[in-house]
Amino acid sequence: MSSRDKKSWDASPDMPAGHFVSGDVYTDPDIYKDESEKVFAKAWRFACHDSELPEAFDYRVFEQDGQSLFAIRGEDGVIRSFLNVCSHRGAKLLDQPAGNAKLITCFYHRWTYDAHGHCAGIPRVSGYSGDVVSKETMGLREVRTETLHGLVFVTLDDAAPDLTSFVGKALDRFSEMLTGQPLEVFHYNRAVLDCNWKAWHETNMDLYHEFMHVVLRKTQVNAMPMKDRKLIVFKNGHGGSGGDMKAAYDGYKGFAGRGNDIPPLSGMAPTDFRFINLFPSTAIISRGTVVRIDTATPMGPDKTLLEMRGLGVMGEPEEHRRVRQRHHNQYWGPFGRNVPEDTIAAEACADSFRGHAGRYQIISRDEGLTGQDDAVLRAFYKEWALKTGRDPGQPVSS
Amino acid sequence: MREFEPIRSLVGRSCLALDDGDFNGYLDLCAPEFAYRIVVWSPELGKDMVWLDHDRDGLAGLFETLPDHLQRSGRFSRHASVYTVEEYSDAGPYSVVSSVVVHHTDLGGRTQTLAVGRYLDTVVCIDGAYRLSAREVALETRDLGIGLHVPL
Repeated sequence: MSSRDKKSWDASPDMPAGHFVSGDVYTDPDIYKDESEKVFAKAWRFACHDSELPEAFDYRVFEQDGQSLFAIRGEDGVIRSFLNVCSHRGAKLLDQPAGNAKLITCFYHRWTYDAHGHCAGIPRVSGYSGDVVSKETMGLREVRTETLHGLVFVTLDDAAPDLTSFVGKALDRFSEMLTGQPLEVFHYNRAVLDCNWKAWHETNMDLYHEFMHVVLRKTQVNAMPMKDRKLIVFKNGHGGSGGDMKAAYDGYKGFAGRGNDIPPLSGMAPTDFRFINLFPSTAIISRGTVVRIDTATPMGPDKTLLEMRGLGVMGEPEEHRRVRQRHHNQYWGPFGRNVPEDTIAAEACADSFRGHAGRYQIISRDEGLTGQDDAVLRAFYKEWALKTGRDPGQPVSS
Repeated sequence: MREFEPIRSLVGRSCLALDDGDFNGYLDLCAPEFAYRIVVWSPELGKDMVWLDHDRDGLAGLFETLPDHLQRSGRFSRHASVYTVEEYSDAGPYSVVSSVVVHHTDLGGRTQTLAVGRYLDTVVCIDGAYRLSAREVALETRDLGIGLHVPL
């Protein structure tokens, strides 16, 4: 064992391509631009849960690739999405994060739109000459929207393959949990993190970092033999747990009996732990009684908007909801035992790569898709390489 | 007009105890039936959310496990101003509303506002000593950055 000199520190790890990631992928502005154009402008991304739009004309505003969008449920029950921009002078239409609007009226010149994106009104339209400006031509920019298992996805790419071909079989093991009972979002929080979006999302793909969390050291690492923990990767860069992992909640003070106090979600045992990461930046994680969905949205090479949702059973008794909220908050949310530690890790790595002190991330653990294999991380970066045309180990020409 | 200085002092001492990591001292300020919640209104969901919910034992357990956790470094400073004290009867309990601001100072000495909100306290008098019977932290701030393990 010895310390390393500059040459050794800066050299690419002597391991196969795909088993390490250069720190440049977290900091380089040209890479960030490539990601915006080739990943986020093309991919299907989670926007919201359909329970957030229960009634006709309910809307929900969200961000995608630096743009404000909104999803709205029409009187026909169909959820459609649009850029949150008036066709007239480009003013942002909806300011509130959620609401209900049969007609959406731009505050600036009172142009109005309906839930289909049709332009419904232009004050004194006769003042425009010709046919270019009319209700027929001035509709909103619609964004492709599809719903799968209650999850609303959008893509900015009009030519993208449909959602089911993008997701493939990645959500098959989640379908019963997500649809076996009506779910609703009871927790939503957002946080702007000082890190690249991938640094956050890696915490969802990296099982090896369980050792960082005392709560996982005590409830998860030894709950079942590592060789029995299965991981799986799918086409298009998705990956997650291949079989249910188990948690032993009695191992952590205050968690004893967790899961025996309320019914688990459909298809889940109280101690099951199941997760899937959908490329590029959405994670769905369930711990028996509760589901978390989180999405990382880039705000710059070094800024990430993290949105986290917690879902429970719609219409459940108040005492069940209170327990389910507690189960959620034990691990997740801004005061959870788990998530604040993940954010510390993401920002700590960002600190190192920002100044180029950190050079590489090593993602070479190979346990045959069991235990704490890095296969899900490698699958992510394989897809990332395909989309960006860059080698994650050497993404910038030297 | 009655003076409620002991109640103002109780709120202040609860801030100091948490700021100093004196969790036993904090629990000493709490009645046996103490209930603690952090509640946040979500304009996205159109309803209140509960981000932390513990009874006294639950809070004691949380404090006990804190040293094992990876935590945000630096210090928190809670600044509470008692705005109103209302007594349900001469013997209490008292409903106490305070404005609270929490700052975080990092290891480099840089201080930033972390959160603003209100303490909605229920205070009881036990053997001549005022104790917190319930505290609801009604947060205005919803983006807490990397989050934290300690109550506000």
